[in-house]
Amino acid sequence: MVLGSLQRPLQPPPDGLDLWPNPAEWSNYSTVPRFMPLTRLLLNSLLLVVVAVPITVVVTSMAGLAIVTARGRTRRLLVGLSVFMLLVPAAALWVPRVVLLRALGLADTPLTVALLALAGTTPFYVLLFALACSRIPGALLEAATLEGLSPYGVWRQIALPLVRPAVVAVAALSGLFYWSTFMDPLTLVSSPANWPVALGLRSLSEMEAALYPIYLAAAVVVTAPAVLAFAVGQRSFFASVERP
Amino acid sequence: MTARLSARLPVRRLVAVPTLAALLAVGACSGEPTAAGESQPPARITVQVGADPEEAAVYRSLVSAYQKAGGGEVELVTVARGDHLTRLSTAFTSGDAPDVFLINYREYAPFVQRGAVAPAGPLLERQGLKTADYYEEPLKAFSYQDALQCMPQNISSLVVYWNRALFRKAGLKPPKAGWSWAEFVATAKALSKGSVKGVGIDPSITRMAPFIWSSGGSIVDDDATPTRTTLHEPRARAALQAVVDLVGSGATPSKEQLAAQDVDEQFMTGKLAMFLSSRVEVPALREQRGLDFDVAGLPVLGTPASVLHSDAYCVASSSQHQDAAAKFIAYAVGQQGQTITALGGRTVPSLRSVATSPAFLSPSRPPASSQVFLDAIPQLRHTPVTPAWPEVEDVIGNQLQRAFQDGVPLDEVLAAIRAEADPLLRRR
Repeated sequence: MVLGSLQRPLQPPPDGLDLWPNPAEWSNYSTVPRFMPLTRLLLNSLLLVVVAVPITVVVTSMAGLAIVTARGRTRRLLVGLSVFMLLVPAAALWVPRVVLLRALGLADTPLTVALLALAGTTPFYVLLFALACSRIPGALLEAATLEGLSPYGVWRQIALPLVRPAVVAVAALSGLFYWSTFMDPLTLVSSPANWPVALGLRSLSEMEAALYPIYLAAAVVVTAPAVLAFAVGQRSFFASVERP
Repeated sequence: MTARLSARLPVRRLVAVPTLAALLAVGACSGEPTAAGESQPPARITVQVGADPEEAAVYRSLVSAYQKAGGGEVELVTVARGDHLTRLSTAFTSGDAPDVFLINYREYAPFVQRGAVAPAGPLLERQGLKTADYYEEPLKAFSYQDALQCMPQNISSLVVYWNRALFRKAGLKPPKAGWSWAEFVATAKALSKGSVKGVGIDPSITRMAPFIWSSGGSIVDDDATPTRTTLHEPRARAALQAVVDLVGSGATPSKEQLAAQDVDEQFMTGKLAMFLSSRVEVPALREQRGLDFDVAGLPVLGTPASVLHSDAYCVASSSQHQDAAAKFIAYAVGQQGQTITALGGRTVPSLRSVATSPAFLSPSRPPASSQVFLDAIPQLRHTPVTPAWPEVEDVIGNQLQRAFQDGVPLDEVLAAIRAEADPLLRRR
């Protein structure tokens, strides 16, 4: 992708990939903002991730703990419901979401897509937390309750520290989801000024072949923050998933 | 340093082209009359188009010129072509439709059938637009249930793009108007030398239809209310067999070559001497440095025929600002609006006066023979305007691909098309 972004535009599509383009066309990067408002879209995406990821982690971890602490039939019902919701095709939800958010007056803002986080983003994260919480000894949760901890206290002081790997995993997965989603904003957000950067990149994807280096330069710019975030957070990520 | 500077030039040029077009158009807009008798500015409207980034720049120029000419506020939503229908469908279903949207005639019937489109005819009449100034063929294609539903922006047709350098190298003369299928095949074979292939033809009904019509066949039993496909009938089958024979002669790219690059990219890179497409390819081909190309009319199997390619502006029936929407459309398809889009290179104007003006015909920018697009207009026919047609097109395209690229016998493919497509047409 990086090598492609340094190719000279307005040339015939290459047959292969040069090891290093000669000359390297760095000016492709400065051309990108002429095709999409890059800074604004990047800020929209950043805002989206900063708001949606913590909400997703909180909602799904609470839901996961609720499933684990439920008893008998209720527990099976909640797990079954989550699996069922996971089977619903995403396309089937596009219209209901738009109708609901329009009725609430919440459509067409940079944070509209972040509202999905209030529903946990995807039931998969809920099931992930349910699996993680199921490994917490039941006696520990009961003892905490007997000691007078509220359900919030049990979640905050007992469950959350013990499922840290799941927290990191869901944060990473949902962060990537909100950074790269374009179908949700395409259907939910009307004004281009409120779009995230992934949708802006999507609109560049139909550039003519001769201009692909500029599209690839945009792709590098859009990918870089996610790669950078992983580079910064990798120690924490690997520490959380490694066995002590 | 010099090399670096020259390397930057192309990027500046590509940005400069739409900018220049905008400046020219905006500069020329001073004389554009606004709708008379309106004391208040038109309401703010939303316009959605499916466009690639450069085409989007042309539409931004159009909106900017409209606003400078006294039009109202317009929010332009440009989305990738592949996402255009998805977004439109979702928006209509959820009651959040744009006031105006641009759509191809092959795709608009489902919207009309569901009552999503406000007939444009009466709305535009109130804006003083005279449809007599426009070519009839796209107006017919966008008329449904005896009313003009949407206002055509362009009138393109299928033509043969040919590489002049490869023709010269092969010692061939330029294609003549009305050349026969036999001449076309002989030319394709003569051009197929080494790594170069003679011609590329996408396996779709829009590419095949002109040849079927030219040989006296038809693609459906009734153009107005089709109930079944007729590609298996003798004349249509003969035309398809002629194309299959051409593919079998080795003058077209192999399946592997097509998987690596589409026909337009192969043409750009000099691997393909001819390919069939509409006007839409022109901006990309113009940008290819060193590519010397022109266009020619389609070869003829019997009588000359070509297929209409046209997009039109539609007004959403749910729009609260239909007059403002009509005012924008009247500007966009008017003298100034069509001049702006014509300078972008991608459209053949539907307004006669712009189509015959230097904005479209100027030979200073390739293709030198743009007149070919206008010469094809009397021969234009359009595919059926029926709600099931987009699905039927997909079925036919997938099956033709099997015949062209996988070597599946034509009769087997035609039987599959009847089995899959006919129920879709009868489902109406």
